[in-house]
Amino acid sequence: MTEESQHPYVERIVSEARRPVELDPAARDHLMALVRMEAAPRRRSSRVRDLFRVRSLVLSPAAGMAFAAGLVGLGVFAGALYSHRDGRSTAAGQPSVVAVSNPQLPVSDTVVQFIVMAPRANAVSLVGDFNGWNAAATPMRPTTRAGVWSVTLPLAEGRHLYAYIVNGSQWLADPGAPIASDDGFGHKNSVILVRPGAIL
Amino acid sequence: MPRHARSLIPVACVALLALVATAPRAAAQDTDPLSKLDASSRFAVEAIIDSARVKGLPVAALRSKALEGVAVHADGRRIVSVVHGLFSSMREARSVLGPVNDTDLEAAAEVLSAGVQPEALTSFRDAPRGRPLASAFTVLVDLVTRGVPRDDAASAIVKLWRSGARDADFYGLWNSVKSDILEGLNPGAALQNRVREFPGRAPGNTLTPPTGQPESPSS
Repeated sequence: MTEESQHPYVERIVSEARRPVELDPAARDHLMALVRMEAAPRRRSSRVRDLFRVRSLVLSPAAGMAFAAGLVGLGVFAGALYSHRDGRSTAAGQPSVVAVSNPQLPVSDTVVQFIVMAPRANAVSLVGDFNGWNAAATPMRPTTRAGVWSVTLPLAEGRHLYAYIVNGSQWLADPGAPIASDDGFGHKNSVILVRPGAIL
Repeated sequence: MPRHARSLIPVACVALLALVATAPRAAAQDTDPLSKLDASSRFAVEAIIDSARVKGLPVAALRSKALEGVAVHADGRRIVSVVHGLFSSMREARSVLGPVNDTDLEAAAEVLSAGVQPEALTSFRDAPRGRPLASAFTVLVDLVTRGVPRDDAASAIVKLWRSGARDADFYGLWNSVKSDILEGLNPGAALQNRVREFPGRAPGNTLTPPTGQPESPSS
C-alpha cells in the first residue's frame, strides 16, 4: 500500500503528525531555567577514585617478609582475643582436644595461714593443687621470728595437697600435717582438709 | 602477572599458613600449663581426664597430679602413668564406697595408692550421711607412710570408725603416734599403744579434742 492509496482520514493523521510542533519561546526559557536550577550530580572525588583504581604494588623481599610477620602477629593477637582462658576456641563452639577440668574453685571463706620453720632458707614458697604447683605463685615471707616463714591465703572447702619449696629446689612436706602417699614423682606432700570454719 | 606480584605469592602463602597454624596454639599455650607436656603425653592425660569425667570421678585431682608432674619436670610417660594410677584408684574406691563426695573419694583413692587393700574400705561403705570419711583416710595414709604395717593401721582406723570416732579422735591418734615414732618408737608398736587410749564409744558422741592437735596444718 502506497501513500497515494491511503485513506484520506489516515493521510490527515499523518500530515498532522508530521507538522512541526510550535513551542512557546517563554515556555522554553522557563524549562531551561528549571534545568539550570537542578543540582549537578555528585561525582567521586579524585582521592576516592584513587582508592578504587587498579594499581600494582612493588615490595622488596624484606618488606614482603615484614608484611608476612605483621600478618602472623595479627593472627596471634586475634587468637588471644577470641579464645577462652583455657585455650578452647569460641569460634568453633565445640570442645577442642584440650580437655580442661574446672579450675575455678568455689569461693572460700576459710583463710589459712601456713607457717614453716626454715632457718637456713633464702626463699620459701608454697605449692599445691590450689596454685597449680607453681613455685612462683605463692612466695612465703619471713616473719619476725627468725627462720620462720609464713603466708596466708584463702582455700576452698575440700582436701588439698601441698608442699613447701625451699631455696627454689628442695621439696619439703609440712612436718606439722599428715603426709600423703608418695606422689609418684619421688616427693612427699602434706594434706589439709578445709571444712566450713575448720581446718584439719 | 608482573614479576614483583609473582614474588609476593610465596610470601603471602607462608604468612597465611603461619597465621592459621600459630594463632590458636599461641593463645592456648599462654593459659594451659599442660602444654608443657609433649604431645603424646598430653593427649594421654587428657584422655584419662575425659574418661574420669564420663565416669563421674573428680577430674581436678587428676589434673592437679599432672600439673605436679610438670612442676617437678617429670618425664611425660611417668606423668601419664601416675595420673592413670590415680584414676584407677579413684575408680576402685568408687566401686567399693559407692556414691561419696569428691573429698572422701580422693582420700579413699589415696588409701588404695598407699597399698591398703580395698576390703579395708568396705567398713566405710554405709557411713551415715554427713559423717566425713576424709579424716580417717588421711590419718590412715599418714600412718602407713610412716611405717605402720598396712593391716594394723587399717584395722585400727576401722575400729575407731566403728566406735564412733570423730575427726578430733583421728587427728589425736595421728598426733600421738607421730610423736612416738619421731621419738624412736617402732611405728607398729606406737600405734598399738595409742589405740588402747581410745575406748569404744557409741557413735554420735563427740570426743574432746586431744591436746596437741594442730589447729592449722603448719608446724
